[in-house]
Amino acid sequence: MGSLVGTGASFPFPLISKWIPAVDQAYGINITYSPTGSSAGIAGITGRTVDFGASDAPLSPDQITACKGCVVVPWGLAGTSIPYNIPGINGRLRLTGPVLANIYLGVITNWNAAAIRAINPGRNLPDLKITPVYRSDGSGTTYNFTDYLSAVSPAWKSKVGVGTTVNYPTGIGARGSSGVAGVLKSTAGALTYVDTAYSLSNKFTFAAIRNATGTFTLPGLRNVKAAVSTLPKKITSLKQIKIVDPPKSAGRQAYPISTFTYVIAATSSGSKAADLRKFIYWAVTRGQAFGPPLLFQPMPTSVQAFAFREIKKIQQ
Amino acid sequence: MTSTPYEPTVPEVDLRRRGIRLGDVIFKGIAVVAAVAATALLFLIAYKIFDLAWPAIKEFGLSFIWTEAWNPVTDDYGALAFIYGTVVTSLIALVLATPLSIAIALFLTEMAPRRLAAPIATMVELLAAIPSVVLGLWGILVFGPWVADNLEPWLESVLGFIPVFSGEPSQAGILPAALVLTIMIVPITSAICRELFMRVPRELKDGALALGSTRWEAIRAVVFTYTAPGIAAAVLLGLGRAFGEAIAVNQTIGNQNAIPTSWFEPGNSLGSKIAAEYVGATSVLQAGSILYLAAILMVISLGANVAAQFIVVRFERARRAV
Repeated sequence: MGSLVGTGASFPFPLISKWIPAVDQAYGINITYSPTGSSAGIAGITGRTVDFGASDAPLSPDQITACKGCVVVPWGLAGTSIPYNIPGINGRLRLTGPVLANIYLGVITNWNAAAIRAINPGRNLPDLKITPVYRSDGSGTTYNFTDYLSAVSPAWKSKVGVGTTVNYPTGIGARGSSGVAGVLKSTAGALTYVDTAYSLSNKFTFAAIRNATGTFTLPGLRNVKAAVSTLPKKITSLKQIKIVDPPKSAGRQAYPISTFTYVIAATSSGSKAADLRKFIYWAVTRGQAFGPPLLFQPMPTSVQAFAFREIKKIQQ
Repeated sequence: MTSTPYEPTVPEVDLRRRGIRLGDVIFKGIAVVAAVAATALLFLIAYKIFDLAWPAIKEFGLSFIWTEAWNPVTDDYGALAFIYGTVVTSLIALVLATPLSIAIALFLTEMAPRRLAAPIATMVELLAAIPSVVLGLWGILVFGPWVADNLEPWLESVLGFIPVFSGEPSQAGILPAALVLTIMIVPITSAICRELFMRVPRELKDGALALGSTRWEAIRAVVFTYTAPGIAAAVLLGLGRAFGEAIAVNQTIGNQNAIPTSWFEPGNSLGSKIAAEYVGATSVLQAGSILYLAAILMVISLGANVAAQFIVVRFERARRAV
């Protein structure tokens, strides 16, 4: 009866919760996981206070150095939704990357702006101030969102950039997914970014985002699957699995704001190494089947193969 | 004839007869150790904070204090926006909480019927028992929207000519955070004021009334003069609490890393930034900068405390001179 303790991103938490009883049944490993945020997960495994950490954001160079021999293994794949609170709107809102960037840059400030009306014909957009809401704590979802905005907006890339915390020029910051959800629910005109499973369980309406082919897509399973369809067959480094703003060749279904989520473990994990390898291997193979009901798309085989090679590095 | 020389006898030293008890020695030893430990801890903490902040102090120097910037992507940091947030929210809370606390304490000691005084006092003190994270949640979910829908438009209509009171109402900002801080300071300050007012000797108040002063004149002349140093200390204690409050402010201040033109708008404070970002620091310089913020917050807090003690001493001297 082994036991593993982990902490980190809240993004994969619904999926990990389904894995825990199944792994207990399969191997007798007792796992506890607390969703404290990607940054706390990275800090936890760096300080070796937990056996594994979970993050939606890859580690920065300083964090890799500080972690002293950690492997980063992708184990989940899903989309980041863009929920909004526009009272009385008749139908789903559509947004494009450049418009989203301009909203968060403070260039577009009202829902009835010409740029928004142009992509939403037939929608009764009210004269309502837009309140962009973002995460004030270090968040992998922020990383995914800003990664997307940097890819589609040169202005965003130069003014703000990518990161788990960035200098948002305007809007309200709230703590955790529940914080942004609270502000979204109580502010008419608010817009935010949060993982799809969270949006669904809180019954938020989220926007359809335009991809490279010009189609407006939602973060459904086949949309996320299309987003990873252009990955190379042989993957040797995490840099090759950037999937934001997929190219036209990914197809009309691709959802532009998708992300992998990662587990981080130490290469010298001592007595926990065998259990960690069992758990992560299971998660990357049989665990993927638990994903679809929660809108986590099973990872493509090329990423699985990369994961297997990384898992082998977890030794005593 | 030989006489025996006089030799004074030295009595055997009996510790108990001389009045030194072992218990006293041990007690004194423990007390000295505790006092030294507390002082040493203060210096150790201060040293460690500055030591951890050193990468940022080396990089930015003193100009960090008056630079308004915070960009983890370009590794460009400055504390001005946060110092503004901490100082402004705490001062607003102070200005609002002080008269409120004094009024509550006066009501409880001078005006309330004895049976009502105790339950009301207990309930005011229970406000202090609400954990700050709970108060912050209430702030962002209930109080913030109310402030944005009701208080801020009213303030704009009455005081809109002052720039800080004009602008778009927002449910997260300097003003909601300052109001939550007020709610946190009032219980402490009013409890201390109440204790102080209760200790004013009755004869002084009776004497003033006998000389023909009104209730309010008696209170002003007797109670306030007598308790002035204590009130100053209570107010500064509340200010210290306001400076250090991180979580509740983090939830209600809106987390914008800039100095807002209007107090309705989001801003950020030192405590809130440290709580939000330390765990997520992606570079050594970012972690150092956050600790630099901690060092600045410590200096501000300690400064307020030293000022408090100075004011108390001056008040004491003025009072004794009367």
